[in-house]
Amino acid sequence: MTIPIVPKLLRAHLSELSGKNARIDGRTQWEGRKLEVEHSVLPRAEGSARVRMGDTIVLAGVKFQLMQPYPDRPNQGGLMCSADVRPIAGRHWEAGPPSPEAIELGRVVDRGIRESGCIDVDSLCLIPGEKAWQVILDLFAVSDDGNLFDAFALAGIVALRNATLPAERFEVGKDYPLPVSKTPIMCSYHKVGGRFVYDACAREELGGDERIHITLGDDDNVHSLQKGLKGIFSTEEFTEIMTNAQGRTKELRKIVDSL
Amino acid sequence: MGGYGDMQMIDENGLRVDGRSPGDIREITIETGVIPVADGSCRMTWGTNEAIVAVYGPMEAHPRKIQRQDRAVLDVAYNMAPFSTTDRIRPGFNRRSREISKVTKDALESVVLLELYPRSKIRVTIEIVSAEAGTRCVGLTAASVALADAGIPMTDLVVSVASGKINDVVVCDLNKEEDNYGEADLPMGILPNSGELVFLQMDGNLSQEEFKEAWQYNMDAAQVVHEMMVEALKRGDSQ
Repeated sequence: MTIPIVPKLLRAHLSELSGKNARIDGRTQWEGRKLEVEHSVLPRAEGSARVRMGDTIVLAGVKFQLMQPYPDRPNQGGLMCSADVRPIAGRHWEAGPPSPEAIELGRVVDRGIRESGCIDVDSLCLIPGEKAWQVILDLFAVSDDGNLFDAFALAGIVALRNATLPAERFEVGKDYPLPVSKTPIMCSYHKVGGRFVYDACAREELGGDERIHITLGDDDNVHSLQKGLKGIFSTEEFTEIMTNAQGRTKELRKIVDSL
Repeated sequence: MGGYGDMQMIDENGLRVDGRSPGDIREITIETGVIPVADGSCRMTWGTNEAIVAVYGPMEAHPRKIQRQDRAVLDVAYNMAPFSTTDRIRPGFNRRSREISKVTKDALESVVLLELYPRSKIRVTIEIVSAEAGTRCVGLTAASVALADAGIPMTDLVVSVASGKINDVVVCDLNKEEDNYGEADLPMGILPNSGELVFLQMDGNLSQEEFKEAWQYNMDAAQVVHEMMVEALKRGDSQ
């Protein structure tokens, strides 16, 4: 990823807007962009989703493979989550091996899903020590207008919830839906013009400072946190966004449950 | 080509496994402006193939050593998403996608008026998010629509179609089963207004007569697809 030259004017403009309690696209501090979520959109994937947040569009696809369980966990299957942001998604994204930014995206989403325990890896084991399912969640950016983190996390959990294990194709029994017991939801906040805002757009990311990602489970339990980019924040600031995340994750979970 | 001669792929009425006649193409949908942050874009479904293409540019070509003083450079990348096929594709370098990127670039460079944009770069990114058979054709066709959507001047659109042979019958636009068991595959990139070609590949085994028949199927199909492309671009413009 090449970082475009941050225009000082943009930073100044964002700072000025922030002083007036306004945002560059007219939203309020904690307001998200228009959200569209669809599932089962990819015919070759065993589970899939498309999420659109404003002009940010992502796809998630679930595939399964049979694997030999790891020697230290003979009774468990595997879960792998990888994110790729290819040049299709924006002019500043470049071809080549995954950039540190894309790797961070995949790993932060992975931790939220893994640590929530929504996938019971023990149930993925077919023959202990010999054969188990590996769940592979691939996150794919189509259009990057900011906050790929939340879009990926949302598309990821929706794709998993709609995934079917292709047991017949692998000749290990009948096809069945992947059991997903919980719905971890991520909310991301960016420091823009000196204060945190929810669901930053690309211009806010470009002219902003640090970002914080919070993944909460069904019972508000915290499953993953990540602070990214240069910047300093206080306990008070963090407390404020954590409170906001509790409300926002509930709203998003309702949308996911209604699909 | 698989070349499983005994696999019955054409029934007694001369119809194919999916009910098509030999000259029929699969169902196609074309949509432009699907990537809000791109300068031009196209989403094309063709059977259960789905390609998404973004065009960025003309923009500054960097590093400067790739710049051409007399024309723009075209940067074309074809890639299959990991979830686009039955067995997951490991992301990263592979020889097949490199070759398809190259022949697609060669085809598009033949129609884009690159000399209008010296020292700049136009980036075309083709992503196959669902693959059935004939993804290179869908990718190239969708790329030409995306370039038009970006307002890049071209001498013509490019329509790419493949014909082949199955059970000794020449058929147009092979689907997945036909591609697996077929005896030949002839993808072409056609300029619909002149009938000229900018892309041609073939593998398999065709007699001179079969070859001419497959060629003609592609030429005829190109006209049908071209109409849909023009219609999609007009629809996109009016939105």
